[in-house]
Amino acid sequence: MKQEFTCIVCPVGCTLTVDEENHQIKVTGNQCKRGLEFGEKEYTRPMRILTTTVKIEGSLHKRLPVISKGEIPKEQLHQCLQALYELSIKAPIKRGDIVVEDICHTGVNIVASRGIEPLIND
Amino acid sequence: MKNKILKAIQSHEELAHYTIHIELSKEGIVTLRGEVDQWQHVVDIGHIAAKVKGIKNVVNDITVKGITIPKKDRSEEIRKVKASGHVRTCDVVIIGAGITGCAIARALSKYQLDIIVVDKNSDIAEGATKANNGNIHPGLIAKPGTLKAKLNIKGNAMYTKWAEELHFACNRTGSLGVVYHQSEWYLLKLLQFMKITRLGYLFKPLRQAMKVPGLKWLSGQEVQKLEPHIEGKPCGALLMTTMAIVEPYDVCLALAENAVMNGVSYMLDTEVIDVLTEHGQVKGVMTDKEVIRSKYVINCAGVYADHIAEMAGDRFYTIHPRRGAIAIFDKSRKGYFNRPLVSFSRTRGKKQHSKGGGACMTPEGNLLWGPTAKEIPDKEDKSVERTDMDYIHALGNHVTTNVKPSEIITFFAGVRAADYKEDFIISMSEKVDGFIHVAGIQSPGLASAPAIAEMVEDMIKKDQGCLHKNVHYNPIRKPRGKFRHMSHQEQDALIQKNPLYGHVICRCELITEGEIVDAIHGLIPATTLDAVKRRTRSGMGRCQGGFCGPKVLQILARELHKEPIEITLKGSNSYVLQKDNRR
Amino acid sequence: MKHITIDVLVIGGGPAGLAAALEAKKQGVQEVMIMERDVELGGILQQCIHDGFGLHRFGKRLSGCEYAERFIQQVKAHHIHVKLKTTVIDILKDKTVFAMNAEEGMLKLQCGTIILAMGCRERTRSQVFIWGTRPSGVLTAGTVQRYINIEGYLPGKKAVILGSGDIGLIMARRMTLEGISVEGVYEIMKSPGGLKRNISQCLIDYDIPMHLSTTVVHIHGNNKLEGVTVAAVDDKRQPIEGTRRYIPCDLLVLAVGLIPENELSAKMGIEIDPKTKGPVVDESFMTSVEGVFAAGNVVTVYDLVDDVSITGEIAGRGAAKYLQGKLNQDTHYQMIHSTNLINLVVPQRFRKNNLENHLTVYMRVREEMKKVYIHGTMNDRVCLHKKLNIVSPPEMVVSNIKKEDISDKGDITMAIERG
Repeated sequence: MKQEFTCIVCPVGCTLTVDEENHQIKVTGNQCKRGLEFGEKEYTRPMRILTTTVKIEGSLHKRLPVISKGEIPKEQLHQCLQALYELSIKAPIKRGDIVVEDICHTGVNIVASRGIEPLIND
Repeated sequence: MKNKILKAIQSHEELAHYTIHIELSKEGIVTLRGEVDQWQHVVDIGHIAAKVKGIKNVVNDITVKGITIPKKDRSEEIRKVKASGHVRTCDVVIIGAGITGCAIARALSKYQLDIIVVDKNSDIAEGATKANNGNIHPGLIAKPGTLKAKLNIKGNAMYTKWAEELHFACNRTGSLGVVYHQSEWYLLKLLQFMKITRLGYLFKPLRQAMKVPGLKWLSGQEVQKLEPHIEGKPCGALLMTTMAIVEPYDVCLALAENAVMNGVSYMLDTEVIDVLTEHGQVKGVMTDKEVIRSKYVINCAGVYADHIAEMAGDRFYTIHPRRGAIAIFDKSRKGYFNRPLVSFSRTRGKKQHSKGGGACMTPEGNLLWGPTAKEIPDKEDKSVERTDMDYIHALGNHVTTNVKPSEIITFFAGVRAADYKEDFIISMSEKVDGFIHVAGIQSPGLASAPAIAEMVEDMIKKDQGCLHKNVHYNPIRKPRGKFRHMSHQEQDALIQKNPLYGHVICRCELITEGEIVDAIHGLIPATTLDAVKRRTRSGMGRCQGGFCGPKVLQILARELHKEPIEITLKGSNSYVLQKDNRR
Repeated sequence: MKHITIDVLVIGGGPAGLAAALEAKKQGVQEVMIMERDVELGGILQQCIHDGFGLHRFGKRLSGCEYAERFIQQVKAHHIHVKLKTTVIDILKDKTVFAMNAEEGMLKLQCGTIILAMGCRERTRSQVFIWGTRPSGVLTAGTVQRYINIEGYLPGKKAVILGSGDIGLIMARRMTLEGISVEGVYEIMKSPGGLKRNISQCLIDYDIPMHLSTTVVHIHGNNKLEGVTVAAVDDKRQPIEGTRRYIPCDLLVLAVGLIPENELSAKMGIEIDPKTKGPVVDESFMTSVEGVFAAGNVVTVYDLVDDVSITGEIAGRGAAKYLQGKLNQDTHYQMIHSTNLINLVVPQRFRKNNLENHLTVYMRVREEMKKVYIHGTMNDRVCLHKKLNIVSPPEMVVSNIKKEDISDKGDITMAIERG
């Protein structure tokens, strides 16, 4: 089986061709090592970084941007989003703080993408 | 007479094949029925009939194959309002909060009258007023002998006092009608001769020009000295010194605020669904919310004036909507021209059913091109088409080719409320006592507004016999300082007094939160994004609200104690946000 | 009125301003101040919650806010003055600046140098001449991004996106993840405006169609957007009759380009390049007004934030040198010209003796070309000759010309030569 992908690792956007013969996966078209790795993964199990926002309370900000600390299987993105949309967290929070540990058993943590100060009432 | 009309229609080749039914009342009102292929033909036939001698006005019910303009069935609403039993009483109901309605409201507030202005829109001036180019015409182009011609010259002169009392910007810059051909310059000079010798009074088409004050004849060189950026080498120009330029919305707001100061009530978001009459006497109106009983009902409903007249049982004219589009340029062209310019040259400006149409500078310093003039079937159709922009571009190019369309920051359209006589209809109804028509108000409606108001005031005074003065009447509406026009010292002082003025919301136009909050809590409260924009100019600059829009929306929500999702762009269902994304 | 004296005033606290302030401070300037009109630093990066930032600089795919915070923390650590919710309203040629905020009122600043870092703004519906009515529901991509990511509201249920630049593509994915149905992305040009990887991960991943050589020609609805008409366009970008199609929708997202924000610059009389729509700058990103520098998207719109930061640092270094009297201003400028396949060049001019090791030149090409050479000549001598596999308008071409290859006199002409 032969498939074509656009590499999304960097802005160059190489067109990768992935060929499978006798359980041997061969990637061509990549200009760097990262493309090789991406092509293999994209062929076997596509993975994506997930970014979105969650509700935050006790701050001037109403939403906290979050990012997955690693890649999540593409087919599980929707499920992860739903979990995050149910969430409401409290300020303060620091960049990198874990918002959800091991989201949907993917083994990946969702972390705060920025710090948010609490609202100071004076 | 019927035959005369038929003959006149049939003399036009493209109209000859239509079957048109004509009815004629003894008062000289023609009603036209039939079906034609295109809208322009409906309008043409209406105009032809109106021109026949002895015809007072035209009710045009001709339809176009394939176009149905649905008429709202109000019976259910009427039943509901009746059932609700909500009734209030006043002396005068004014339908329509445009420039005419607001001017009349203010004029009548001099007397002990309980006045209510109703408008179906969420803000004043939402109709033709807000889409006007702000030219206070000198009255040269109006057809001699018309009501327009008379009220235009009179109204123009009255603007000086209005501006003094109400404190709006009114730049009496004069305007230039420029000619580019020697032969046309001779014609202009001939007009001068006619004016000086007063011989022009002998020729009907020249009579209006004889009455317009402040005309001056300038040589080509003088024109170039006054307007260094004007296109090419003009042969000369007619300087009409009485031309003034205003921000139409500001004028309307000033009138409305002053009216409120003097006791007038405004009911916005309120649509008249019926006019109440009994035995040939008006008894008030029914709105979509309640019944308002009154002695007088003044119909200033713009493009809907004919519908309101029909509700009162006195329909003797049809309003055919004529759309006008305008383009506004970036302020970087500030001072490019000093006064409104229009080309009188035939090869440059193709004559159309439009007043003026050219280039001018708004009081705030935006170059403005337009308006266009296009007959349209739908009264609500405020779209701008490519053909409009082509026409606007041509208008602009008549006086300058250095300004490029890429400098345009916005374009929009308004709809003029033209009747088939192409004149103002200002009269007490002959069928329903107390119902006053103020219809067919199109250009020069803005210039004529003070005179129209005075005329209606006199009409009610005469009808009533005697009116008691409102002893608290105050014609002065204090100016509201505009932050952007102040010195840095004045700005600092203002911020020290109220820190909200220290927070810039609209960067393009330098509008502060203080001004926005003032607008929201003003005498005519701004409750929508567009209303805030028109009062403060927030969002009128080159980014067109991209940056300040969300901020103004937040301020509106906060000040009106509403959720952001409840805030609209311009009333009705024009919500900006659909829902909170995490609830 | 409060008076302030400052060595370097940076106007704008986005990526360019942050980098510029930081670099000026690192170069030994005493008093550095950032003025930011918003409630926090970071600029538009704070609403860019998606990843893909900082690959060059940090070797990581960070989100926009993560990228911003790395700089913000350094700015705090380096004791740079920051004035938030403060708007600059006037800059005079003698480097007097008027700015205002609610707490202090009007401020009058006397600045040693000024770095302009106001960023850019979005083109609007009127500027791309979309005909029709003016209902609610027509918003620029950046405004939609702000509503969704910062304020937490959805501005519609069904969206059409006009413009296939990266912003349009990113918003297609973002809206889809939020449950807004994206009908399609429309692009008037023959080729997409955004990066290939964004087409892949933002459109293809979610089955969102892209329609090239197609644009929105009409907006319908008086109060709320009811729909748009789209049509295919010919080579002159004019709609082709018979291809019109009505799409019901309640949101039209406009991603139709960015324009450097130069009201303040133009008002103070800085020379503006009609091609970049930003100030003409030299090797140190100094504008035509001595001691006034510019950085980031105010100069020209960059596609990568990494480049914005780099130009901020160049300007920050330039400002420091200027204050220290180390910036040569005596020799005549040498110009950088370009031939017709290149749309714009930044910087537009330079003084050789102000260069450290090389001259960095940013260029945007007019069309996509494969296997080309980027070619620089000076007095008929080659100063740069580099092979590139592919160049395309969405991606800036960045080239370094070595100082030793640059002659003392004469101008540089940059050209693209087909393989």
